[in-house]
Amino acid sequence: MSPIKAGSSAGTTPAEAAPAATPSLAKRLRFDVKSAGELGAFVVLIVVFAILNPSTFLTAKNIQTILNQSAIPLIIAVGATLVILMGSIDLSVEGVMGAAGMTFVLMSANSRGGTGYGVVVALIVAVAVGMVLGLVSGLIHTRLRVPSFIVTLGVWYVGLGIATLLFGTEQIPFLTSDSLKAWPTSLTLGLPNSFWLAVLLVLAGAAVGRYTRLARWTYAIGNNEQIALGNGIPVARVKVINFVGAAGCSAFAGVLASIQIGAGSATVGVGSLFLTIAAVVIGGTALSGGKGGILRSALGVLLLTTLNNGLILSGVSPNIQSGVSGVVLIAAIIAAAWPYRGRLRVSK
Amino acid sequence: MSAELSTATTSAAPTMKLTGIGKTFARVQAVKDISMEIRQGEVIGLIGENGAGKSTLLKILTGLHQPDTGVMEVNGKEVTFRRPQDATAAGIGVVHQEQALFTNLSVAENIAMNGSGVKDQGTRFGIFRWRILNQEAAETLARVHAKVDPRAIVGDLSFVDRQMVEIARALRVDEMVHASPLVILDEPTSVLERDETEVLEREIRDLKKIGSVIFVSHRLDEVLRICDRVVVMRAGEIVAERATADVTEDELFALMIGHNERAEVHSRDREGAKPAPILEVEGLRRDHAFHDVSFALVPGHILTIVGTNGSGRESVCRAIFGAEPYDGGVLRVGGEEVRSWSMSKAVRSGMAYVPSERRVEGMIGGMDAAENLTLVHPGAARSGPLLRKRARAKIAAEWFERLDVRPRDPALDLARFSGGNQQKVVMAKWLQSADLKILVLDHPLRGLDPGAAETVNRQIRAACDQGTAVLLLADTLEEALHMSDEILVMRDGEVTARFDLSVEAPTAIDLLGKMV
Repeated sequence: MSPIKAGSSAGTTPAEAAPAATPSLAKRLRFDVKSAGELGAFVVLIVVFAILNPSTFLTAKNIQTILNQSAIPLIIAVGATLVILMGSIDLSVEGVMGAAGMTFVLMSANSRGGTGYGVVVALIVAVAVGMVLGLVSGLIHTRLRVPSFIVTLGVWYVGLGIATLLFGTEQIPFLTSDSLKAWPTSLTLGLPNSFWLAVLLVLAGAAVGRYTRLARWTYAIGNNEQIALGNGIPVARVKVINFVGAAGCSAFAGVLASIQIGAGSATVGVGSLFLTIAAVVIGGTALSGGKGGILRSALGVLLLTTLNNGLILSGVSPNIQSGVSGVVLIAAIIAAAWPYRGRLRVSK
Repeated sequence: MSAELSTATTSAAPTMKLTGIGKTFARVQAVKDISMEIRQGEVIGLIGENGAGKSTLLKILTGLHQPDTGVMEVNGKEVTFRRPQDATAAGIGVVHQEQALFTNLSVAENIAMNGSGVKDQGTRFGIFRWRILNQEAAETLARVHAKVDPRAIVGDLSFVDRQMVEIARALRVDEMVHASPLVILDEPTSVLERDETEVLEREIRDLKKIGSVIFVSHRLDEVLRICDRVVVMRAGEIVAERATADVTEDELFALMIGHNERAEVHSRDREGAKPAPILEVEGLRRDHAFHDVSFALVPGHILTIVGTNGSGRESVCRAIFGAEPYDGGVLRVGGEEVRSWSMSKAVRSGMAYVPSERRVEGMIGGMDAAENLTLVHPGAARSGPLLRKRARAKIAAEWFERLDVRPRDPALDLARFSGGNQQKVVMAKWLQSADLKILVLDHPLRGLDPGAAETVNRQIRAACDQGTAVLLLADTLEEALHMSDEILVMRDGEVTARFDLSVEAPTAIDLLGKMV
């Protein structure tokens, strides 16, 4: 029995003929919004609701409402996207919002008396409180190697605890400045101030994602942490910075939410966590990290707030609404993960 | 061996000098007493069988492992590499055997990506200057004549283009340090086409003008063509050093394997007709991995597939066990063609698979050894849906005795056993099955000391004697020749030779000739 096919294999290696490696225009320009899928879904949603509610949906008033509602999740999504891009997750959003919001209200002029320290100082201190919580999450996650899921789950409740402690046993603290309370919904160039603020943060976040080494390292870590370490990327430092940044965003959102309701409440952030994480994922950022971007998440937020608004206008019972949101989320994840369902995915 | 072969060229301190480098992993000596010199302008070929210690040596040179003993000197100064960045900063660039690129980032970002604080014009104050970044990457790519767009996402590139990016990135160390660089190429050509290999050869010749190269390859003709000097490793030691001018391919083969005589063939009683095959593979194909693979596994026989990394043999094994899909061909188990093959179906039809990545795929760390042992085939340890702890302990104790697992404590977390003992437990998990028909072993002896290897080999033969068909991926050619009834040689995804050991007794050189 002599060797079969000896010598016949020279030069028949099955490597595919390497195509000229020039990517499409979209890829070369590297927009965060790469696929038209999400954008298409958004347009379809608008058209459908406009047809169902011809007199109410596409009115200036309703558009202002949608944009105002999307402001808070947009701000949170900026930070949440960076954390998810690393393959980590930040569940502490609502706790950080509560702690920061309560800090802001108590440091501003409020119904418990006192003139406060002014909006700027109150805002800075409130965001700082949030960032400290993010620092705690980041350090415990990187130094003690506790999964971010568990750390931030704990910090969520720590944040709620701080808010409750600050609240104390006295009466609810209301903001006394009417101009402050009216600011988010006041219009500038026809759009609510809260939305402009969110746009500013989203654009800043997108620029960070596109142009800073920190953010490119974030993408690298999300792609393969082992290779990132091998390349000498300071993985732990990048992670901590992103957790601090994300908590800063959540804190800012908590302040905005407190201004909108005009009072201090530990539970000011209820519902924000689901909405933002769903928006990030629907926007196309992979929970496994490395793929996606802040502009994508912004689109995801607009998609979900429009959906919720449209469902209410179309007379869908609020009882069904949360169910619908959940189904949309699951469908989006299935669609996003479809190309990657290898059989041994789990083992990698 | 003489290291004075090419000293005539320069009297300066060698680019790199190793003296007495040694490294031990969990009682296994991976490399010992490695002493060598790499001079400026030299291209050194490093060859050796799988498991000869080449990879460990390279990992020490690149700062991924720290040696237990010995001294490293770069340009005459003693150095200690604690991290990969230290090696980069000392001017050592490396193309790893497995690609280490970020698939989600662009080519330019991958080329620029390093955290060693080396000056990099494309980034200022942490802000990317894309135009400069892309331009610099384009220049680096032009050096290797790679037609790759620096803005392309690495994940969209073909495998070969990615390899060129890796090589370009490694070559870049000479732009970063002013000392003469050392570039390590770990089997860079195994995935390259002929003309791309020529580009690489040209680039290596250019590199000789400014620095030195360590070139690892299984293709000995390439080694002889490209290198000035060849270092041969076997069993963790340098066994020979030769100037390429006075050595032949055959000589290198012999040095790598250590002997030239016909290996002793594992002889068992082979009287009577061969039983019907339990597993038949016909024209099995998986795109980009292997094609047209056919063989049959016969009860009581051991079939071994040999081949280098990238020959596709691991992929074949995984496809047969249902751990990877295949794109074409027929799989017959017990004479019946299988449809929508999966791991659970494979296990149900009496197949067992011992993976090479036992830490990842073969065992559940955190669970105790007894639990791991009875995970798939609980046997008497189960009655209905309930597990019987006492019966489990008894089964585990028996196997620990039979396989000489140490420490002899089945209640210990499996992750805390040494590699060899883990492997014994993983083997026992499958061997205790009442009707084990097919045993697929992917490098069962990897990382085992000789004693443990012998125990595992005995168990494989015992299973064989009871009528199990074995498919083996051996670590070394000796192991293949020692254990097998039939040997299949694979190269680049296809079967290049098959030997029936009851008819003829090939030598390791016969096998190697078909592998490379």
